[in-house]
Amino acid sequence: MADSFTLPLRPLLDERDRPDTLPAEIAQINNQWGSFRDVNEDVLRTKIAEEYRDDLDEDEGDQSASDLDSTERLEQLYKRRKDIIDFATQAHMEAMFAVDFVSLLLSKNTPRQAETSMSAFLKQIAPLGSLNAEVVNPPPKPDSTTKDISAVSRGWRIQNFNGAANKLLQAASRLENEVASETRYWNEVLTVKEKGWKVSRLPRERQALGVQYGFLEATPVFRDRGLASLRRAENGSLILDKGLIPPKARFVRVRVMQDGQLAGRSKPTSPTNDEQTIESRILQARDTLYEEELFHELVREARATANYGVTTRQNLIRIPASDNLEILLDLVDVDENDLQSDQDISQEGTRIAEGLSHTIRILLAYAHRQNLHRRTLLPLPLTPKKRSVPEHQLFRPALAYIQHMSHVLWLQSFLKDIFGVLHSAALDIPAYTKHVFSTRIAQTSSAPTAEAVVERFLTPFESTFSGKLLTPRGSFSIAIHTNLSSPSFGTSFDVSCNMPNYPDIKSPGRLSLREEVQAAITHLLLLDVVFTTSSNSLPPSKPEKDTQENRVWEAVYPQHGELVLSSSNPERHRKIKLALSRHELSLQTYTVRCIDGTGRGKWEQPSQTPKQYTWGTPSASTHSLMAVVSEASS
Amino acid sequence: MHEVLLFASVPVHQHHELLQQLAGLTAMQPRHCLERRLIFKAYRKPGLVAGRTGASQDIQSGDLQRLNKMLNGSMYYTQVVGPVSEKDFGSATDSDTQMDGTDETPEAPRYDYERQPWKLEFRDIPEAGTRSAVTSRQMSSSTLPSGDIMPTMSAWGYSFVTEHVVEGDLFIHNDITLFLQRVLHYPAGQEPSQPRQQMPALKDMTPLEKSGSYVLQASITVQDGSNQETMKTASQHLFGLREQLKSAVRLEQADRLSLDTRAK
Amino acid sequence: MSTLTQEQIKVLEQARQRLVQLTRSLGSLITSLHSSDPLPPWSSLQSQASIISNNLLSVSEQLSEQRDLFTSLVAYPSPEYPSRTQAPTLEQLLRTKLDPRVEDWVARGRAAGTEGGLSQSTIPSPSRLVEAESADHKLSEAELAQLWEWAPLEANQEARRRNWGGNFTLEERESGIQNVVTGLRRQLEDDLGSEEEESEGEGEEEEEMDIVGVHRKSVGGGLEFDIAVRHPHPVQPFVPLDDILKYMTTGRMQ
Repeated sequence: MADSFTLPLRPLLDERDRPDTLPAEIAQINNQWGSFRDVNEDVLRTKIAEEYRDDLDEDEGDQSASDLDSTERLEQLYKRRKDIIDFATQAHMEAMFAVDFVSLLLSKNTPRQAETSMSAFLKQIAPLGSLNAEVVNPPPKPDSTTKDISAVSRGWRIQNFNGAANKLLQAASRLENEVASETRYWNEVLTVKEKGWKVSRLPRERQALGVQYGFLEATPVFRDRGLASLRRAENGSLILDKGLIPPKARFVRVRVMQDGQLAGRSKPTSPTNDEQTIESRILQARDTLYEEELFHELVREARATANYGVTTRQNLIRIPASDNLEILLDLVDVDENDLQSDQDISQEGTRIAEGLSHTIRILLAYAHRQNLHRRTLLPLPLTPKKRSVPEHQLFRPALAYIQHMSHVLWLQSFLKDIFGVLHSAALDIPAYTKHVFSTRIAQTSSAPTAEAVVERFLTPFESTFSGKLLTPRGSFSIAIHTNLSSPSFGTSFDVSCNMPNYPDIKSPGRLSLREEVQAAITHLLLLDVVFTTSSNSLPPSKPEKDTQENRVWEAVYPQHGELVLSSSNPERHRKIKLALSRHELSLQTYTVRCIDGTGRGKWEQPSQTPKQYTWGTPSASTHSLMAVVSEASS
Repeated sequence: MHEVLLFASVPVHQHHELLQQLAGLTAMQPRHCLERRLIFKAYRKPGLVAGRTGASQDIQSGDLQRLNKMLNGSMYYTQVVGPVSEKDFGSATDSDTQMDGTDETPEAPRYDYERQPWKLEFRDIPEAGTRSAVTSRQMSSSTLPSGDIMPTMSAWGYSFVTEHVVEGDLFIHNDITLFLQRVLHYPAGQEPSQPRQQMPALKDMTPLEKSGSYVLQASITVQDGSNQETMKTASQHLFGLREQLKSAVRLEQADRLSLDTRAK
Repeated sequence: MSTLTQEQIKVLEQARQRLVQLTRSLGSLITSLHSSDPLPPWSSLQSQASIISNNLLSVSEQLSEQRDLFTSLVAYPSPEYPSRTQAPTLEQLLRTKLDPRVEDWVARGRAAGTEGGLSQSTIPSPSRLVEAESADHKLSEAELAQLWEWAPLEANQEARRRNWGGNFTLEERESGIQNVVTGLRRQLEDDLGSEEEESEGEGEEEEEMDIVGVHRKSVGGGLEFDIAVRHPHPVQPFVPLDDILKYMTTGRMQ
């Protein structure tokens, strides 16, 4: 067995069959670094320098100071531990020798007792009683020995007293420092408390103090985050440990886009303050938390109103507000706005953005109050299914307001236009009356004023327009309802009319498109004009012929604006055709050949080129409608 | 419906502090409550009542059915509860204050018995032999016509026993209702055979428990008492509260017989 | 030369017992060091250290008390001892020379205690004033002895004047604890002051603890609220809870 053989402890590395061929390597390099043609000395040098720098960075990164500290301390700890164990073991050994010695010595006289304390080893090798002892008269110790002993003992005494005194002093000064920093800490805590913040123990870490800055009625996730621990720095100053709150102040930014262009944006709710007092940090934490909750709730609301065209993408909420307005909401750092120029910002846009920005914040505060109200009601009986929390109304009321206003303004301008057309034809339609935001408020609301004011804002909006027509006792009214809070979202127009002369005419009722409303009103007014025309007493015709002749324009097809003045001569029926639009009233007069003049279309058979009059356009007739009609009658 | 409950006795010296503790726990201000509680006892064997009563038109038919069902089961004590406010209580010193000649003082709103709203609160005897350490019992509550309920109640076979006032503060903690209450006696005198039409001065009312101690009642109502899962959840919520309050009060299950509503 | 008397054996037996105790406490220290990582809790370390120190003290006391006996006692192997084969063990047992580390320790003490060391034997400056005065003043041996005699008594006396533990300092107590602004809502117990009062109210207090469920001890153990403090005038209900509930249910107490 002289020949030793070795067993490999590591797996054998497979020898490569053959080294990479040069072409393969070149291909690889080409792939990784690009063509050789671009390689020169400079490029390589920069490359090397870069790599070197990277290495350095990594080294620095790895050895963070605290890491080093803790490992070093740990090492030291284990070294000390080993020292203690060594000393103790040594002492134990020495003591064992002493015990063995005395035990063996005694084993001669009291073997049974002595044996119990002898080490197993000694028992094995030394028979009991194998050590003798005798009392002798020892020679007196030399003076020097005694002196030496007392010197040693005095030396240690002095040293130990010194050591003890130093330790006590150290402890005292440490205690003093500790007292000073505790005093500072508690004073600062007290300052926080005196400012009115709620200071309490942390629920999970009962040794630590915390300050409650969040909102009790916020969504639980945010409510629970509204607590920061008040930690003590080494020197006793207060550190606000906010945990989850991002260190930067953030806010929900409202931007108003008009025709795709930025038209206005809201400013941060609270100015960034650089002085970092505890108070200001608490305030910032509170504000940011509020803003985060606000955005969270806005996103929830946006999802619930997706059917309305609201989209959420990448922390951006887009809300089509009205016509050409779009609202953008996002959560950004407070200083984000500074990066953008103020071009294109209009006062109107800024007003809307600021208004909306205040609105959503007030409404979140209102929602908090509602939460308080809800949770202090007598609880409903427990059931297995969970109740879902409805989304707060934050942007919907504001949106409804914008929308409602836009519809009101549209209707107003439409009525202005069409009434203008009628006036220009000297038709004296009386001015209409309007009640914008005429929603009646229940006075019985027992809520505090602040809440009552907000409640008003949350009810569906209503504005009414009403007026008299030309027709005696005729009237119309239009009610605009906007409601974005409950099903049947959106705006509806309730158009109703009272036309005593056309009992068949029903009110158009609930309409939802502006075009429909415009058509309905226009039609209504056309009928009104037709009736006015037909009921207008004509000047008596030439008295020579039948006085029995019916001298009244008869509204044969009022809905088409057609009137006929029949004549005894079937060839000479006169006809008027009225047309009304938002911008124009037009009238055609002609005679028809027909038995009673009621034919329409190709049966109408006009016998002369129609005369055309228009009002409301630049080339308007200067005569009044009635004058033209009178003229046509003769 | 079912109700799970825990009770605690609260000595009067601890009352103020407990109010503050509960306000802290529930993060709400205490809601002060005063209730008239009329106790009725069935005198007729069940099944004799057809539910035909003159004064019960205002009761909706659903309520009526429920009432019939709960009243015709067995013979029970049952309570008629009506909320009152402090100003409903008469002032015995009225005559004194009017001695100074200002007889023209506008009349204070008086207690109007005819408009007193009432609710019938039925409670079964707590369930026996439940292993859980909470009191649990069947309950039901329905609205009664306002004003004089004597005709209604006697039509159902119930006679008036006595009445008292409960005074206390209400807190809501998630699904738990906390009521820190005590019973007030009417001033001593002859015991009327029907509910009082007038209320004495509040300060003349004396606590049933002479030291003035309170009772803390923590309860959760459960829609479907046969759903073991929900009942368990309710008990656990109460145990959680008991744990939170254990340094202040000791909430316990009540002795079953002390809540025995059966009329013998 | 004489053999040991019964009396002397007794002394040796005492020494043996004390040494055994010392060995045991050292052994248990080693075991506890080995069985915990990195170290046993400091409180247990400290108590073990003080046990060892007490054991050492008792050994050392006996050594000096029985100094005369121990210096005149000579031990030698009897013929039964297998000196031929077990000489090293015998040497170990009878060794009088100090272990090199102990020798070193003695040397350091000697250095501190003789000339060079005397310069250190100024008063370990408890205050700067004294230090300034005595910077150059070396204490003679007699002065040192005097100081050491005086210091323990004085320190002890000073310590007795303080109330170690408790909620108030002696000064605060003397000027009346009701004047101390603690900023705390709850009443601090004056644990030393009014023992008579305590014993008077003891019976009632326990009753209260039972009914209200107050757990004073657990203040540090994490409570949801300030515990219900002891009220100056506790009033216990006369009517049991069950009777109240009974009344509320049926309008009658029984």
